Amino acid sequence: MKKVFVALALTFVFSIILTSSVPVCAETETNWPEKRIEMIWHSKAGSGGDIYLRALARFLEKKTGQTVIVNNVTGASGANAWMKVAKANPDGYTILGVSSTIVASPVVNNLTVNYENFDHVARMFIDAVCLFVAADSPYKTLEDLIADAKKRPGEVTLAGGTAGNIEFVAARELMKEAGCEVSIVPFEGGGDGAVSVLGGHVSAGVGEYAEIASSAEAGKLRILATFNKLQDKSIPTVAEAGYPNVTVEKLRGIFVPKGTPKPVIEKLTKLLKEAMEDPDFKAYYTANNLIPAFAEGEEFTKILALQTEQVKESIGQQKK
Amino acid sequence: MYENLLLGLQTVFQLKGIFAIAAGVLWGTIGGMIPGINATIAMALLLPFTWGLSPEIAVIMLVGVYCGGEYGGSIPAVLIGTPGTNAAAATVFDGYELHKQGKTGIGLYASLLASVFGGLFGAVVLVFTAVPLASVALAFGPAEYFVLALVGLTLICSLGEGNVLKGIWAGLLGILLSTIGLDPFAGVPRLALGTASLSDGLEMIPLMMGLFAISEVFRQASDLAGTGNELVKIELDTSFPAWSMIKSWIPCGIFGSTLGVVVGAMPGAGATVASFLAYTGIKKWSKDQDSFGKGNPLGVVAPESANNAVTGGAMVPLLALGIPGSNSTAIMLGALMIHNITPGPMLFISNPEIPYGIFSALFVANLFMFFAGILCIKCAVKVANISKPALLAVIVALVFTGAYAYSGEIFDIGVALVCGLAGLAMRRGKLPHTATVLGFVLGFIMEANLRRALIISKGSYMGVFLNSGISSVLFGIAVLSVLWALLHPLYGSIKARKSVPIA
Repeated sequence: MKKVFVALALTFVFSIILTSSVPVCAETETNWPEKRIEMIWHSKAGSGGDIYLRALARFLEKKTGQTVIVNNVTGASGANAWMKVAKANPDGYTILGVSSTIVASPVVNNLTVNYENFDHVARMFIDAVCLFVAADSPYKTLEDLIADAKKRPGEVTLAGGTAGNIEFVAARELMKEAGCEVSIVPFEGGGDGAVSVLGGHVSAGVGEYAEIASSAEAGKLRILATFNKLQDKSIPTVAEAGYPNVTVEKLRGIFVPKGTPKPVIEKLTKLLKEAMEDPDFKAYYTANNLIPAFAEGEEFTKILALQTEQVKESIGQQKK
Repeated sequence: MYENLLLGLQTVFQLKGIFAIAAGVLWGTIGGMIPGINATIAMALLLPFTWGLSPEIAVIMLVGVYCGGEYGGSIPAVLIGTPGTNAAAATVFDGYELHKQGKTGIGLYASLLASVFGGLFGAVVLVFTAVPLASVALAFGPAEYFVLALVGLTLICSLGEGNVLKGIWAGLLGILLSTIGLDPFAGVPRLALGTASLSDGLEMIPLMMGLFAISEVFRQASDLAGTGNELVKIELDTSFPAWSMIKSWIPCGIFGSTLGVVVGAMPGAGATVASFLAYTGIKKWSKDQDSFGKGNPLGVVAPESANNAVTGGAMVPLLALGIPGSNSTAIMLGALMIHNITPGPMLFISNPEIPYGIFSALFVANLFMFFAGILCIKCAVKVANISKPALLAVIVALVFTGAYAYSGEIFDIGVALVCGLAGLAMRRGKLPHTATVLGFVLGFIMEANLRRALIISKGSYMGVFLNSGISSVLFGIAVLSVLWALLHPLYGSIKARKSVPIA
C-alpha cells in the first residue's frame, strides 16, 4: 500500500515537472513578437519621455519587423497610463515607458498603483541633473555656493522642482550632505526655474542638463556641478567636488506587466541592449544629452526602491 | 542678419514650405474654431505627421497651426458666444453682443483683421527686438508675475455688470477652483476628494467650455422650450466693415499687439492672460467705458490683436533662451528634438535655417491667415441659419468631444457638464461667469508665484510688492484700478444727486 502511494506520489511529482517543464522549454524559444506592440507613456506627445519611446519604437520596428506604436495615456497624475499597463495582458505586447515620475507621483498623490505593480525590464538612461548659476553670478564653483550657504543659512535661494521631483530631491540630498541650509523655490518645469536664474531672481538652480545645455554653451549659464557623470564633458560631478554619497538619478526605463513570461522579458532586454549600440538610436541619445546607464531586472528594482525612499523623505520634510 | 533672413525666406518660399504653412494655418484655424481644441492641441495632433518631414518644414508648419489656432477661437466666440480657445474668452464680451445686434460682419472681420495685424506686429517685433524682449522676460521674477496677475484680476471688479461685489464673488470662486489639485510646494493633494482625476487639478478646457458653451446651450434650450422650436430670424449683416471704421481700430490694435508681444515673451503667462489684460487695458483707457460689453468693436480688436501677437513673443524664450515659455512652443521643441536638434541660443549658429525659418514663417502664416479666415468665416456664418435645436445639439457634441480629446478622461466630460449647470445658475443669479474663468486662469499663476516670491523675500509681503520698480508700479496700478472701480459708481451717484435739484 505504502509502495503504491509512493509510486503514485512520484508519478504525480514527475508529471508536474514534465508538464511544467515542457512549456518552459518551448518558451525559451519564444516567438515574441508576432504582432503589434504598444508602448504606453503617461505624458503628452512631444514630451521628453515620449520622444525617447518613439526613438526606441523606430529601432524595435526595424529589428523585429512588427509595428510598434506609442500611445500617450495622460491624466490622473500618470495613474491612467500605469493602471492600463498593470491590468494589461502580461504577454509582452503592452510595454510601459517610465521616468522617475513612476516613483514620485504614486508617493505624492497616494496612488494605488506604483512601481511594485510591474516587472522591471531595464533602466536605459539617466537624464543628467545639474546645479547651475547665471553667468554673472559670484559663485564660480560648487564650494563657493556651499560656503556662502553655510555663512548665511537660508539666504541662498535655489530654483528646484516641485516636492517629490528629482530636481527637488537632488537639491535636498546635496544640502543635507554638505550640512547647509538653502531655501528651495519650487518651479513647475525646469525651464521656468532656469529663466528665474538667468534673471537673477534666485541664486542658483537645479535642473535637467539637456534643458539648459544650449544656454550653457552660449555662455549665459554656468554649470557648477552635475549629479551624474556626463560623457566627454569637463564639468565636475558632485562626487568629484567632495560629496560622493549623493546619489540622484533621473532615470528612463522600461516596465512590463507583472507576470510577463521570462523568455519574453529576456528577449526584450536583449533588444534594448542592442538598441544602445544602434547608430540611429545612439544619435538620438547623444543629441539629447542622455547618459546611457543600462541596468537590468533586479538591479533596476533596487534603484527604484532607493529612489522611493528619497522621495518619501523629502516629502515628509515638506509636510512638517 | 540679412543673409540669414534670406536663408529663412528660402526655407519658406519653396513648394513644400508654402504648402506646409498653408495647410498648417487652415488646420489651426479649423481646430481653433472647434470648442475644446486650442492651438496647443491642434499642434499636438499634427505633431506625429511632422516626423516624416525635415525639421525646418515641420517647424514652420507648426508655426502656421499656432497662428491659425490663436485666431480661429474667435469665430465661435462671436457666432455662438462660446470661445473656441481659452484665449478667445475675452472676445465673447463684445463679439457675441455684436452678433446678437446683427452686426456679425463687424465682429468677425474685426477679429480677423486684428488677428492678422497682431500676428504681423508680433513677427516684426520678434525679428528686430528678440534680444531686448528676452531681457524683459528675464526682468519678471516670481514677485513681478504675482503683481501682474493681480493687475489682471482687477478686471473682475468691472465684470459684474454694475455690481462690483458680484464680480468679486465670481472671481473668488474661480480662484478657489484653481486651488484644486496637487499643492505644488508641499506635494499633497488639495480638495481632491481622494480621486486621482481631481488630484491633477481641474483642466482649463472642460471648465471653460462648461461655463461658457454648455451653460449657454442650457439657457437657450430653456428659452426655446416655450416657443416650440420657432426660429427667430435676425437680419445679419455679414459684410466687410468700411475702411473708415477699420481706421479707428488701429490705435487699439497697436496697443493690444504691443501688450501681446511683451506678455508672450514671458514664460508662463500666455495668450489667455494677454487677451484679458488687453481687454482690461482698452476698457480703462477708453473714454466711453460703458459701451464695452454692449458691442464695442474695440472689445474684439484688443484681445484678438493681443492673442495673435503672443505668437511672436512666445518664440523669444524658445529661440533666445532655449526654453519653451508655453505649451505651444514646448511642442515645437518636441518637433525639433525628435530630429536631434536642441533649440536655444546655439541654434542661430548651428542651424540658422530654423530660427530664421520661424521668423519668415510667422509673416507668411499671418498673411495666409487672412485668406483662411475669410474662407472659414464664409462657412461659419451659415451656422446662423441652422435651426436652434440642431445647433445646440452639435455644440454639446463638440464640447464633449473636445473635453474628452484633451485628456482622454470621461471625468472631464463630467466636469464640463457640472460647470455647465453652475454656469446656468450663475447666469440666472447675474454672477459674471467670465470673472470665474479669469480667477481660474490667474489663480494658479498668482498662488505659485506669490509663494515663490515669499520664499525669496523670507516671508515679507512688502518685499514682494516692492521687490522692484516693475512690481511697485504694477502694484500701484492694481490698487488704483480697484479704488476706481469702487469709487466710480459712488462718484456717479453723487453727481447724479447734485444734478437733480438743478434739473
